[in-house]
Amino acid sequence: MRSIYLTLVVVVLSLAALMPAAGQEAPLGAANWDLVGQPDGPPISGTELDLITEEVAGIMRCPVCQGLSIADSPTALAIAMKAEVKEMLSKGYSESQVLDYFEQSYGEFIRLEPKARGFNLFVWLAPLAVLLGGLLFLAMRMKKPVVAELEPTATSSSTESELDTYRERVRREVAS
Amino acid sequence: MNRKVLIVGALIVTPLLIFLALSFGKDPRAIDSPLVGRTAPDFALRGLDGEMVRLADLRGKPVVINFWATWCQPCIAEHPVLQAGAKQYEGSVEFLGVIYQDEPEKIQAFIDRRGAWGPSLVDDAGTVAIAYGVYGAPETFFIDRNGVIVRKATGALHPNELASLLNGMLQSG
Repeated sequence: MRSIYLTLVVVVLSLAALMPAAGQEAPLGAANWDLVGQPDGPPISGTELDLITEEVAGIMRCPVCQGLSIADSPTALAIAMKAEVKEMLSKGYSESQVLDYFEQSYGEFIRLEPKARGFNLFVWLAPLAVLLGGLLFLAMRMKKPVVAELEPTATSSSTESELDTYRERVRREVAS
Repeated sequence: MNRKVLIVGALIVTPLLIFLALSFGKDPRAIDSPLVGRTAPDFALRGLDGEMVRLADLRGKPVVINFWATWCQPCIAEHPVLQAGAKQYEGSVEFLGVIYQDEPEKIQAFIDRRGAWGPSLVDDAGTVAIAYGVYGAPETFFIDRNGVIVRKATGALHPNELASLLNGMLQSG
């Protein structure tokens, strides 16, 4: 009896040892999510998962569309990407982890809204700089009195000497 | 002409000219990939013949991964190029085809008619295509012996382009 138990234990342990090998045989697609580390949060499901999937997919650009998010695009690629986003979120990966993962394959292009850093700052700051510059220009123009423009400009020393010569000539001609 | 106008004009036009000059040197078909220079994303996919292929197992040999489909005309055009390449570099370079948004039955029928150049791997969920940042078919990734992506080619490959890239990878050791 004891030998039967022992045999059973050995068989069960052997099967358990074989499990990882069997797992390796299963198609794993691209198991590269660990590039962004372990999931930041706990697994999620149901309505919460659906809502956050729409939210994240809504800020990701469809690579084969014109300015559409993967949430709005009906293309096969966008549908596959959205499915993967959902899968990652369900495992507990955060929004930033999902975006980082896709950014590794498609670059920053995948973000509908570029990160506010480096050269991208120009996109964020340029309109503000133009607005401030315009306001400054207007303020300076309004501060400057209009009369000032009508006042004669100061004559240079050379013009003054020319005038002196001319006055002297007139005086001499009048006297003669 | 007013000097100020000239200076402002030059300040606006010069950056535009530099931008255009730099863009002229680029291949308009090329789509930059952040993966070039990095380790290729690993995957394990089953081929049409049922055999599992894992990229990591091919380390030590240059690998060509081609994403293709039967609905894609440039893929059909480059099929003979890849067939010739796979034959010429047999034993020294591994050629893998990943089915991109197509049905395995259609791929099998196509291969039956025109012949194969390597295993056609089924990427049902499209996760491998996404991991490689694929935009459309055909796209080809050239992976060196160390598993690093050295080049991504968009569109149908030219025989000279294929030969030059493969010779380069083989020579670089």
